[in-house]
Amino acid sequence: MPLHNRIAVLRAERKLSRATLASSVGVNPQTIGFLERGDYTPSLELAFKIAEHFGLPVEAVFSPRPFRTLSEQVYETHKREA
Amino acid sequence: MPVNVKNGNKERSWFWKKIGFWFVPARSEKLGPEEWAKVRKVSRTGTRRARRLLFALLWVPTLAFEIAVSLRVVRIDPWAGLISAAWLTALLGLWVRSLRIGFAQVSLDDRAVTEYGAEFDALKEKQRGDLFQRAVRDGLFGRVKVDEREAELRLRAQGAAYRLLGPALLVFVTGYWAVCLFGPFEATRSALAVTAVVVTWLAALVLAAPTMIRMWTQPDEPEETAAVGE
Repeated sequence: MPLHNRIAVLRAERKLSRATLASSVGVNPQTIGFLERGDYTPSLELAFKIAEHFGLPVEAVFSPRPFRTLSEQVYETHKREA
Repeated sequence: MPVNVKNGNKERSWFWKKIGFWFVPARSEKLGPEEWAKVRKVSRTGTRRARRLLFALLWVPTLAFEIAVSLRVVRIDPWAGLISAAWLTALLGLWVRSLRIGFAQVSLDDRAVTEYGAEFDALKEKQRGDLFQRAVRDGLFGRVKVDEREAELRLRAQGAAYRLLGPALLVFVTGYWAVCLFGPFEATRSALAVTAVVVTWLAALVLAAPTMIRMWTQPDEPEETAAVGE
């Protein structure tokens, strides 16, 4: 089963390079690229490390179902709060 | 050899521009933009599938060449054949090793960000030279980081190779027996049959090895905890 993730979005949002994220979670930079492209499913340990790096729960970064776009989600939250 | 960084590559000899600079990493700080572009391109070789396919295809004729040379030499003198086979196998082994290291090696661009926190183009010549020398050294000594993805890919490739090895060994052993039994070797047939038995048992040993290793290493199944047990 493919595992979807938001690593690319989170990286762009925080202006973080692949190499920086990679060195902080202890993998090669190319591994981050493969993760973002969905060509590699991370181990539980790596998934938790990445989520911890972004300060988010693991289900906010990885999901077995495709993520909705962040803009859609933010708009819906705003609508619900209004 | 005229080397003048300020004036670019125009004053450099053809040999230096095409070949020379690869063999003098100690002078890497004197490389020009043209050479740096080549070096960076090569450091990303492992990431391009087309190039990897080319290398994989090249492996078959290389192996065929090696076998042909060894067979030719062994007919002249068995000891020379052994030496040539050992040398060529060692060379092939080194080539495969360098490819394996190349897959796990981080490109110069990523090294620049990780080690200096800046893009490669923004680094000073000295820093670029240091990065390049470290990359060459790591490549030579195989000091690469085998992270979980690299380890998994290696394991998967080894599994696929082993799955191919099973039928290939069966075909080889069957063919070996056929040659031993029906080939025109009346005088040495019994000696050849002995080697065929040895080859058969070696193949059996190789094919049974994963199961034996699992039998040796697999832990006992955990028992149900008392609180849940009936």
